[in-house]
Amino acid sequence: MSKKKPAAALAAALLTIAPLSAHADAAKDLQIAGRALTFLENGPTGKQVLGIVFDPSKPASVAEKNAAMAAIGGGMSAGALTLTAKPVEASAVSGVSGVAALYVTTGVNVGAAAKAKKIITIGSDASCAASGACVMSVSADPKVEIIVNRSAAAAVGAVFKSAFRMMIREV
Amino acid sequence: MKKTLLAGVSAGLLVAAAASAANAQSIDYGSLEQLFNEPVTTSATGAPQRSTEAPVDMTIISAADIQRSGATDLPTILSRVAGLDVEDRGAGASDVSVRGYNQAMSPRLLVLINGRQVYLDHYGYTAWATLPVQLSEIRQIEVVKGPNSALFGFNAVGGVVNIITVNPKFDNTGDITVRAGTAGYGEVSLAKSFKVGERFSARVSAGASQSDEFKNTVGVAKALLNDPAKLSANIDTVTQLTDKVELRVEGSYSNVQVSDMLSNYAYSPSKYLTSSLKGTLAAETKVGELQLTAYQNDLTAKHVILGQKSRFENKITVVSAQDLFKIGAKHTLRVGAEYRHNEVNTAPIGGAEVSYDVLAASAMWNWAITDKLAFTAAGRYDSLDLSREGTFPAGSPPLGNGYWDRKIEEPSYNLGLVWRATDVDTFKATAARGVQVPTLIDLGALQARVTVGPYTIGLAGNPTLEPAIITNYQLTYERALPAIKAEVSAKVFVQKTEDVKGQPTSAQIDVPATLVSLPVLSYRNIGESKMNGFELAASGQLTGGFRWNADLTHTEVDDEPNTGFSAVIRTAAYGETTPENRGNVSFGWTDGAWTADAYAHVVGQHKAYALYSAAAAPNLVNVEAYTAIGGRVARAFDHGVTVALSGQNLGDNRQRQSAGLEVERRLFLSVSKTW
Repeated sequence: MSKKKPAAALAAALLTIAPLSAHADAAKDLQIAGRALTFLENGPTGKQVLGIVFDPSKPASVAEKNAAMAAIGGGMSAGALTLTAKPVEASAVSGVSGVAALYVTTGVNVGAAAKAKKIITIGSDASCAASGACVMSVSADPKVEIIVNRSAAAAVGAVFKSAFRMMIREV
Repeated sequence: MKKTLLAGVSAGLLVAAAASAANAQSIDYGSLEQLFNEPVTTSATGAPQRSTEAPVDMTIISAADIQRSGATDLPTILSRVAGLDVEDRGAGASDVSVRGYNQAMSPRLLVLINGRQVYLDHYGYTAWATLPVQLSEIRQIEVVKGPNSALFGFNAVGGVVNIITVNPKFDNTGDITVRAGTAGYGEVSLAKSFKVGERFSARVSAGASQSDEFKNTVGVAKALLNDPAKLSANIDTVTQLTDKVELRVEGSYSNVQVSDMLSNYAYSPSKYLTSSLKGTLAAETKVGELQLTAYQNDLTAKHVILGQKSRFENKITVVSAQDLFKIGAKHTLRVGAEYRHNEVNTAPIGGAEVSYDVLAASAMWNWAITDKLAFTAAGRYDSLDLSREGTFPAGSPPLGNGYWDRKIEEPSYNLGLVWRATDVDTFKATAARGVQVPTLIDLGALQARVTVGPYTIGLAGNPTLEPAIITNYQLTYERALPAIKAEVSAKVFVQKTEDVKGQPTSAQIDVPATLVSLPVLSYRNIGESKMNGFELAASGQLTGGFRWNADLTHTEVDDEPNTGFSAVIRTAAYGETTPENRGNVSFGWTDGAWTADAYAHVVGQHKAYALYSAAAAPNLVNVEAYTAIGGRVARAFDHGVTVALSGQNLGDNRQRQSAGLEVERRLFLSVSKTW
């Protein structure tokens, strides 16, 4: 009995981790996103606004936006940055202003509009950067992963420092 | 050279006054570590990498690990790394090796501070007490296990220890520590960084310590022992010359006395005076990260060798250049070149100088084959030109200085395949060839006469000695267990050392007497040695602020001397002197202001060489298995003040850990303030 209980507890813990991860890690992902921005050439410093892009017709996107807004709250310190957030509907990206970057919720594609505005886009889903819809994708768990799409970065004029480029995955 | 570098600093200051906001060229370890949630390093390939993705076997000791260790010296901290063998020769002198082959004046571990060699390659060892660094200013210690000559050159064969200090450009640090302990221990250290304007930053540090030597319970002649004492200082400046160009200048000084165990296992009351000056110019350009480095190490080392006072004046000058760049999304490359000049006088009989010049070219290619699979190949080619100038003592074999005109040319390589099979599983396969070049002492700087019975015999270096070649193959499996905040690893490795160096011995004449010369004892290549083994390690965190670590390293060493040589007699019986097993268990706890850590370092039975009086021959004695226990309890107070009680070798009043002096239980009370 004593041998089975820890194993069962461990299995239960493992099963509960995956469903929780999507929103529980919003704060960690945003930390990575904010810190990654500081490795841009002539990157942002100090207080900056992050636009949280969502699609109001997609409940998952709205939930992720809400989680991100809650995680940043009144201000999140991420390296040399202090981030605040404002929600941006996907359809309004072409008119957005005053943001250092856009954090794109899963399943939303604003690549073309962001490129036209020369704004860096960051997704929490690896496919966002892989497809070119985002300049960068970040995820914190189980291990920090950062993917930069070179074409998308070039399109918005984003140049990352070389040391950073050697430590991430580029596509 | 000093004037040139100082002029460079002045120029940098002038530029700084007129320039605008700065960009980074050197590696901001802190920011990258926070970004990736793991330590980063450049000691694997020369390129910045996450520690878990480095294509070498690397352990990184963090500043927090160092603080919690309660240790007062680097060897104690290193002894808690899986697979490292540490033998304390005295209260201020130790020898460190990786996976066996430890010996007096251990030559197989290359040690650097911020990439500057502090390994003393005129004699081939690290006098740890001479390192001009305070523990409080170390950002991390990077320990590479296995050869890494393709990056660092000669002598990075058993492993590499690269000590990375805080960088005043990125890190704001201030620490003063006062420590007192049993056995007359006293220490004070200070480290402080500061900025002047937006483009100039500096770190200054200094420290002094002293203690009583371990009690002489093994019969070493009293005149051969010193109470250890150390004084050291360091300055480190970073000047942003332009937005893309940075100049870092580091200078150091140390004045040390310790009881050394020399390479013949005899004690020596040694004194060291070291100084260094290093300049690094780094530029971010369209063709990559260019870096030009130049440094000079000056050393005065005084020993008593075979009862004779010996003074070595050693100067090392190194100039290197490299370009690091990325091609496309998948390929990172580094190309480099290095020039090195190393010179030392002969001793204890003077009158000559032995020196060499080394030219080296190196390259590294890292290929991200897929998101999960990366391949790294690094190679280096070193060409060494040996020479000798000066006179020969009477009775020397009839050889001219031209006998020293010799070239040693050797390639080295590191190959690594890293496969991140899943988010939590990583496999690594590595192969490496390292080159342990004969030291200047081996090659002829040692020049002495000894009396054996009624005979007078010459003792001299051997300029024909071949470098030892170390090849190493390793498989590594690492698994993260995030659900329980733990990680485990398993490694297997095989290693071969060719052309093992044997020490001079009065039991074997190497150069027969002639009508005009004495018989001579010297260094010889005596054969091969093979090692294989495995390492198991696990570490993690528990709820309630607890942390734990456990590791075991097993090695089997088989010496295969050539016909006519005995590894035992030539003081190279590594199969007998390497313990088969060593391991660590530690447990720590932090709760608010309180921190407590306990460490147990276990070493299996092995033999060790002992030589307690001059002109005898070292003999093998038995060292029983032992457990060294250390620990620290600390409480943090307001205003950055911490009070800590720590101890080493707590299990016994006195403990035999080598054939040298028995180590003693020592307790320390520290008060430190950070700001």
